[in-house]
Amino acid sequence: MQFIVEDVVTHLAVKVTEPRIDAAIATPFKDKLREIVVKSRKPIHLDMASVDFMDSSGLGAMIAVRKSLPQNLGMVLCALTPNVERVFRLTRMDSVFDIRPLTAQKEHRE
Amino acid sequence: MTPIERSEPKRSTRASAQVQPMFHRVLSAQPETVRDTLQDVRRRFQGEVSDDTLGRLELVLAEVMNNVAEHAPAGAGAPDDSVRLPVIHLCIVRHTNGLACALTDDGVSLPDECILPRSLPALVMDDLPEGGFGWFLIQDLTQALCYYRESQRNYLAFSIPFAQSGAA
Repeated sequence: MQFIVEDVVTHLAVKVTEPRIDAAIATPFKDKLREIVVKSRKPIHLDMASVDFMDSSGLGAMIAVRKSLPQNLGMVLCALTPNVERVFRLTRMDSVFDIRPLTAQKEHRE
Repeated sequence: MTPIERSEPKRSTRASAQVQPMFHRVLSAQPETVRDTLQDVRRRFQGEVSDDTLGRLELVLAEVMNNVAEHAPAGAGAPDDSVRLPVIHLCIVRHTNGLACALTDDGVSLPDECILPRSLPALVMDDLPEGGFGWFLIQDLTQALCYYRESQRNYLAFSIPFAQSGAA
């Protein structure tokens, strides 16, 4: 499992490369991502553009990672695909995470 | 070759008027096999139903089948083969208004609370729930959900509507 991590001025940009966050990989996904974010002193921006599918175990992993973040550091989810966005919306977790388009310049307002 | 008319199964004219795509698979309940099956389901119905319907179907099937895998007997699937994994039978047929799904498995019995109407786990910001979403999603995305258990098997049937009522 791979994450592409880039330290930019304002935040830590983490790109998820897994196409599916499901029951088959939820636990290693959670452990690996948590390892990356707990050391960060900046807010995390997670690029989710490559993730085509996420189920409730994947959602549980995302919530666990968010809970492990140091105090006052936010977690921004960028570029959710429709299948992933649906899970956040239906479970009302879109109110817990900061969900945004990939870049502020490229806004896709509905 | 001379066609043998007798061997042709007799179809009612209504059923033969429209051939509907379907999918049938028998699989062992483990996350990797579930994942492969879901990708085959996607390939089977891609272009036949909308991406939105396909997305809802895939999510519901993932939740149902991964639940069976998650509640498999301890030690099932180990190399020594002493404890058998539950076996899932999955069948999906496209109907006029949606995808009719039937799943059976020989895993543990489903607790009543899964099928009873349920709401989301409480959203406590300081201690967010990390689970308990699966059956909420299944109930939210399906219609005519029904369940019974007979001779050591669970039977679950539901429909994934093409258009979600009340959804934006």
